[in-house]
Amino acid sequence: MTRFAESTITFPYKRSLGPVVGAFMTALTDKRILGIRNGKDILVPPMEWDPTTGAELAPDFVEVGPVGTVESWTWVPTPSVQHPLQHAFAFALIRLDGATTPLLHAVDGGSSERMVEGLRVAPRWRGTRVGRIDDIICFVMGEVPETDGGDTGAAQEPVQRMDYHASITYRNPVPAATDRAVVASRNRRLLGLRCPRCERVYAGGKGYCPVDAVELGPECEVDLPTVGTITNFAIVTPVSYPGQTETEPFVRAFVLLDGTDVVIGYSPVIELPADEVRVGQRVAAVWASPAEEHDQEGGMGGAWGSLLGWMPNGEPDIDDPDLVNRIF
Amino acid sequence: MSATPCAVVGVGQTHHKSRRLDVSFGGLVREAVFRALEDAHMTLADVEAVILGKAPDLFEGVMKPELYLSDALGAVGKPMFRVHTAGSVGGTTAIVAASHVHAGKHRTVLAVAFEKQSEGNAQFALGSGRGASLGAGGAFAPFIRAYIRRSGAPEHIGWKVAVKDRLNALKNPYAHLRIEDISIEKVKASPMMWEPIRFLESCPSSDGACAVVLTDEAGGKAAAADGRPPAWILGASSRSEPSSFPGRDPVRPAAAVQCAADVYAQAGITDPRHQVDMAELYVPFSWYEPIWLEAFGFAEEREGWRLVDDGTTELGGSLPINASGGVLSSNPIGASGLLRFAEAANQVRGAAGEHQVEGAQVAVGMAYGANNQYFSTWVVGSSLSPFAG
Ligand SMILES: [Zn+2]
Repeated sequence: MTRFAESTITFPYKRSLGPVVGAFMTALTDKRILGIRNGKDILVPPMEWDPTTGAELAPDFVEVGPVGTVESWTWVPTPSVQHPLQHAFAFALIRLDGATTPLLHAVDGGSSERMVEGLRVAPRWRGTRVGRIDDIICFVMGEVPETDGGDTGAAQEPVQRMDYHASITYRNPVPAATDRAVVASRNRRLLGLRCPRCERVYAGGKGYCPVDAVELGPECEVDLPTVGTITNFAIVTPVSYPGQTETEPFVRAFVLLDGTDVVIGYSPVIELPADEVRVGQRVAAVWASPAEEHDQEGGMGGAWGSLLGWMPNGEPDIDDPDLVNRIF
Repeated sequence: MSATPCAVVGVGQTHHKSRRLDVSFGGLVREAVFRALEDAHMTLADVEAVILGKAPDLFEGVMKPELYLSDALGAVGKPMFRVHTAGSVGGTTAIVAASHVHAGKHRTVLAVAFEKQSEGNAQFALGSGRGASLGAGGAFAPFIRAYIRRSGAPEHIGWKVAVKDRLNALKNPYAHLRIEDISIEKVKASPMMWEPIRFLESCPSSDGACAVVLTDEAGGKAAAADGRPPAWILGASSRSEPSSFPGRDPVRPAAAVQCAADVYAQAGITDPRHQVDMAELYVPFSWYEPIWLEAFGFAEEREGWRLVDDGTTELGGSLPINASGGVLSSNPIGASGLLRFAEAANQVRGAAGEHQVEGAQVAVGMAYGANNQYFSTWVVGSSLSPFAG
């Protein structure tokens, strides 16, 4: 059975809206819906260019709706947290009065039996609007727009940017070689895989040789030494960004394992300040204590399992001008 | 090349800035596209296919931007392709576009590349969305340390490249960084970011786009007859290698050396140092200039820094590198590679303006990406056979 690891990536992106969508979003804060004239068409939401020819459109805005007619719909019986409503609803193509193209939005229809083509719907506005399409919570049946809660009014300034909080959760299959490397790390063993074709040895549960494109199974496993020499390093000055975990300059070192051709790249160092790290320095592996083993934070993560990083072992430096070239 | 000849007849780019809050994605790419079409004396209707390149989707959080932008690019009903080869993507975008013309599949193809870095965060994106991102500087600092130690280059080489490219940028109206008082002292005094890389030896984060119109032999000749010299593509090549394996040399990657050999063979170049008049190399951190001078055959191994030191690569030197100001002056990542290719084309068209290299007839555009892994290069000439006779 393949094991899967779940990860989530989130980021608060900022969208620049441009002169046309910006005007549309600004109008939403004032509970008005704008279209744009394109020949005999009124496009809603407005576009900067003719969607067929790419020709630039003049900013000839036309107020439409806010009431409209459902042209088509699909029922969403079990919404996810990312859906606009948390109970069953319809996604519908709504032709707002005065528009020639439909707007996609949610309709709070109660039950799918009540949804029909030709249904008249009106917006339910959010009380506090920021200039996003969900300033309209959804459309409701009938001819009368609603406002949810206290109305805090239109935006004071034109809306130029929009928050776009992206979040994606995905599941990746974990290679068997990774799991074996993690298990070995619990016993303070550093596992390598020797390619039967090129003899290169790979650490870190990489279950294949990228040079020969062959899979490396358990029969290729070798034990690697846990003492080595720093060949090169990066001292990173962290910049802040959402999700950044570092505030002080931190080191990532490259360690050539004794008597092998194996370099462990981008490794954390322990009890070794950034201004003391140097090429040729002798280091030994540092392992998590059994109590720490389920906590990946601060370690090397992934296939490295209990390997936390590398610490000077007190031996004299190795003076070899070619060491610095062993980054890989 | 045995295929149907392909010519660059139009080049456009935006003014690159930290934040273009006034435009949408579509608005940004269209600025570059319409400048390129105007330059080519064409309209969107003349374009038969569109090739779009940009860096990973994590930069702006728009998945499948080629679909999102198809109507903005007038691509409705036309073939539309996305290219994705990390930082080299802009160059590869031009090569994919040229391939459609070379193959005789389409007469005129539009290559477009962009990045709108202000919508997200490059360090976040390069760190795969996790904390403790190395960023490009952290990833490349060890490579640069290895280059400096093996070549014995003095530390001022990095400062010199940083000053040269920023001085060149002052002659390029589209460049992002305009540091009027740039000097060795200023670079030297700037903060150490990723030892040995200082702040002013690093590229900026930019919003920007670039577009190139490529057409067939008849189109190129028609432009030339109309007094608008085209740039003829004499060779184009892409190569890559795995990110890590024992023995890989990121300072002189096998993929870079193979890419150079392939593109020079296509162009009939045997002595790049003397047969090439200028090059636009992808140099996001100053030390990459000597690194690529060597890997791309302009200098012997460990000797590239001497061409920086003696002024050869300055705008007035015998092999100007990054006359436009390069990636060190403008870095809309996805577009940065296409900008190298486009600037090289403009040089042989005699259309580079104030940063024109006098009499340039053969130029190289080059881009790389990821961990010194992906390479794209083209050689362009003012004629199809610049070395004849
Ligand atoms: Zn192998």
